[in-house]
Order: sequence, then C-alpha cells, then structure tokens
Amino acid sequence: MKRYALILALVMALAAGFGCAKKTQTTEPAYDDGGNAELRAAIEQITDARVYFAFDKFNIQPEYKDMLKTKAELLKKYSSIRVRIEGNCDERGTQEYNLALGERRARASYEYLVNLGVNPSQLEMISYGKENPAVQGRGEAAWSKNRRDDFRVISQ
Amino acid sequence: MKKLFVLLVMSAWLLLSDAVQAALRVDIYGPGQNIVNLALAAPIKGPEAEATSMGQTLQKVVQQNLSFLPFMRLTDPKAVLGGIVLAGYEPPSLDFKRFQLAGSDIVVTTFWPEGDSGTRPVQIRAFETNTGGRIFGKEYPKVSAKDLPEVADRFCADLLEVLTGDGSFFRSTLAFVRKKGKMSANVWLVKPTGRGLRQITNMPGESMSPAWSPDGRFVVFSHIDRQSHALGVWDRASGKVQRIRFPGNVVIGPAFTPDNKVAVALSNGKYPVIFLLNHVFQKERILEGGNSINVSPTFDKTGTKMAFTSSRMGGPQIFLKDLSSGSVTRVSKNGSYNTEANLSPDGTLVVYSRMTEYGHRIFVQDMVTGEERQVSFGPGSDEQPSFCADSYFIAFASTRSGHGIYLTTRHGGDAKQVPTGGSAYFPRWGMPEGGKK
Repeated sequence: MKRYALILALVMALAAGFGCAKKTQTTEPAYDDGGNAELRAAIEQITDARVYFAFDKFNIQPEYKDMLKTKAELLKKYSSIRVRIEGNCDERGTQEYNLALGERRARASYEYLVNLGVNPSQLEMISYGKENPAVQGRGEAAWSKNRRDDFRVISQ
Repeated sequence: MKKLFVLLVMSAWLLLSDAVQAALRVDIYGPGQNIVNLALAAPIKGPEAEATSMGQTLQKVVQQNLSFLPFMRLTDPKAVLGGIVLAGYEPPSLDFKRFQLAGSDIVVTTFWPEGDSGTRPVQIRAFETNTGGRIFGKEYPKVSAKDLPEVADRFCADLLEVLTGDGSFFRSTLAFVRKKGKMSANVWLVKPTGRGLRQITNMPGESMSPAWSPDGRFVVFSHIDRQSHALGVWDRASGKVQRIRFPGNVVIGPAFTPDNKVAVALSNGKYPVIFLLNHVFQKERILEGGNSINVSPTFDKTGTKMAFTSSRMGGPQIFLKDLSSGSVTRVSKNGSYNTEANLSPDGTLVVYSRMTEYGHRIFVQDMVTGEERQVSFGPGSDEQPSFCADSYFIAFASTRSGHGIYLTTRHGGDAKQVPTGGSAYFPRWGMPEGGKK
C-alpha cells in the first residue's frame, strides 16, 4: 500500500512538472530574446534577396548594388556569420562553360562585398552552373530567375 | 633453290591477298562515303546443317552490331535466291552467285566445326562476292554462351579494321553520366552498341565530364557537391574512386593528354585557367589562361594540339592552341555561342556544339580546309560531342527523346541511340582493353 502511494506521488509530481514546462513555453519562449531575433532578421535579409544577371554576363547591375550594400553592412555587423555565394546559370548554356560563368557570377558578388569592407573569411563561393535551377520551365521568365547568385548562411 | 621458290610463292600470295584487301577498302573518311552491302550466311556446323544454338545467338548479335555502321547495308536473307544456308563455309562449296544476285559485296560465313553448344571454337570468314577472294578469316577458340557478345564485338572490330583500317568502334567503351535528379549524377560505362552497361561511381552530388585515360585505366570527372568542386578519379584496377580537391572554386572539364596526364580548368585568380596536372594529379603548369574564361581542353593523339572554349572575344568560342609554338587560332567563326569542343584524335577535325534559336546543334570543322559542316539537326538540343578513336564516329547527348546518347559520324547522317537505361549525358570514348585485338 505504501508502495502504491509512492508511485502515485511520483506520477503526480511528473505530471505537475510537464504542466509547468508547458506553461513556461507558452508565456516565455526561451528563444525569443531581442538579440537573436535581430540576428535572424539579418540572416533573412542576407539570404532572401538574390542578385540576378543578364544572359552570359556576370557584371553586377545597378539595381542590385543597394541590396549588396545592405548585405555588406549586416555581415560587418555580425562578423560570426559566414555566407556561401552560389553562382547559377539558366539552362540554355552548356554545362562546362556554365560552371565557369557561375563562378564568375559568384565572384562578382564576392568582390563587391569585399570592396565594401566585408572580411573575406566570412565568404566562400561555389558555382552550380545550370544544375541547381530556382525555377523549372522554359522561356525568359524562368531563365531570368535562374541566372542568379544565392546567398546561403553556412554558420552564424 | 626450292626454298627460294617457296618464299617467292608466299610473297606473291601475300601481295595478292593485300591487293584483294585494298580493292575492298571502304573509304569512310572521304566526302563521298560509299556503301557496302554485306550478307550474313546462316551459321553452319556442317554442309547445309544450320547452327541453331550459339550460332543463332552470335548471328543476331553480329547483326545488331553491324546495324550501327552507317556505311553498311545488310542483305535481306529473303533476297538471296536459294537461301543463306550453305553447303560450305568457303570456296569451292560456297556459292557466291546467289549473293552477287542479291547485290551483296561481301558474304560472311560462320562455321562451328565441333557444333555450337557447350564451349566450342567458331570460324568466321568474309569473302568478296565478285572475286571470291577471302578478305578475312579467324578462329575464335573456346566460345561459350556468355562469350558470344564479346566474340561478336571482336569479329566486328576485326572486319571493320579490314574494311576501313580502324576497328576502334567495337573496341570502345563509352563513359557517360547518368542523372538521377537535381544535383545527383554518377558515372557509368556502356559499349557503343548498348551492351556492358554498368555504374562505376556512387557518390552523392553531381558528376560531370568523364574522360578516359589513353591506357584505359582511369576515368576522371568533375564532381560537384553542395560545398565544393573536385576532380573525381576512378581507377579501373581497384574499382575505387578518389575525390581530389584543389585550392579555389572550380574543377571543370578534365581531359587526358596522350601521355596520361590530366588537363583541367581550375581557379587561378579571377578566371578559370587550364592547368596541366602531373601523374599524381598535382598542378604542373598552365596550358592556357588570361583575363577570360578558358575551359574544356581536348587534345589530338600527338598531344601537340589543344582545342578549348574561351570567352576572350566576348561570347564563348572555340580556339586551337599549337602547344609547340604557343600560337592560338580561332576555330569557330559562325554563331555567338560555340562550346564543348572535341578534337579528332587524328587532329584533322574539331567537333563542337553551337547554340541556335532551336537549341544546340553539333558542327564539325575541317582544320585543313576550314569548312564547317552541321552534323546534327535536333529536335531538342544536341550537346557534348565526342570523337571515337577512329576520328569517324561521334557520340553526343541529345534531348530529342528524353536525355539520351546518340551516335553519328563526321559526315552527319541519321543518329542512332545508344541504349543507356536512363537520362544520359557527357559520352566520352575510351578503350579500357587498350584496343587489344
């Protein structure tokens, strides 16, 4: 009888414990402190906006310069963030040449960011050529979305 | 004196047989490629006794093989008066007239002297129907059922060599890439006739641009995963694959030089540069570089000429470098996007793909006359052309019916698909058996 009472007490204690945890999570989420939210917002800004290119070109067009400036400021502010710049091409070109072109595109963004004062050790580059399209399909609408640099945060 | 006479007779016989061979030579390289009509007599194991077991199977495989030769027309057995089951496998019991009447230039006889079941020798002969002269004859010993495709390939290679001077087609194996999905492709091998299909790498990520070593021991390729590019090296001796990293971001389009070294485009500052690697895959020297994209090196069999793709004049174009003098000349003069050059082993032709408004098409340029010829016409996109060791056959990837590999020749003509069992790209010829006869 004494043993049953002990088990009952343990079960009630465990149930109470779970209840407390649930209550804590709903009122005060552990991850929701101001600093991390800012970092998350910075990461989103770095990764969400892409740089797009004209066919067979790798120069940064004027409309993407402000966006790269913003990325540069964020990378300088959060020096722990490391980003991989991924150069991509549309499906029209041939694979080997596109690998080289994709690298030139990634390098164009890389150099722009470094010129704005980003530490090169925060950046790395890769070209996927035409192997990693953002959009499937044919025609300029799809192709223009695939000629791009993606910015992927690889550590923070 | 008697010995001298025998020698004289033997020399005369040899000269005569050479003359017969020369008369039957099929010119596949000249502009006016001729057609040869070939009849396959029924395989026999004795007079009028058809070999219906291994004999029949070998016959079918030989037939399939020969259908890949665009200059060869197989005689319909029904067109042969009196039929194709013969009283003998060579003159005088071989009746040439029935084959002459059917329009055949050559008749091939197959004789199984000890029957065609179990492990038995087979004798295959080819005769010119007009003169009755034997142009080829060989016994393939100890043939069992599992050897039949190999025997067919060996015979077809031997016959092709007699007729054209080069039997490389049937001694070759294509390395190619088979794609499974986005960023997922591995290297496979297949005979140009579709047999011997097998996977040789199994790596996550994308493999591209396989290339055989001239000795047939290695296949090198570009390998790309989410983080990096690397040079993949498959060793036929061990069956193992190495992934070799280099400083920088790119490893593009490796190719072997005739002395078994690898040339590959690697990062070097702002632009990819074509490096020559030494025998242990370390950088030896720059073959071509500058302030432009330079990729996709390809060599002739002497190793003195290198064709490559460069953006030095704006869009990508094909250039040829004389490696002894260092001089570079532009090869492709039409179109704004020419890439993926492949130099014929004899150094006389460059094949490449050109972007057109209908997709990519394959063009061949004669390096002597400068004449350019379109050899593929779609539909879809035709890319990644590659010359066989005979400088005659060209394999290429096409989207005309899914993603497949097709064969054509330096003269163009109907393309024939190589069965690969899936989405196939980047065909590259090699001779893993070292071209052994």
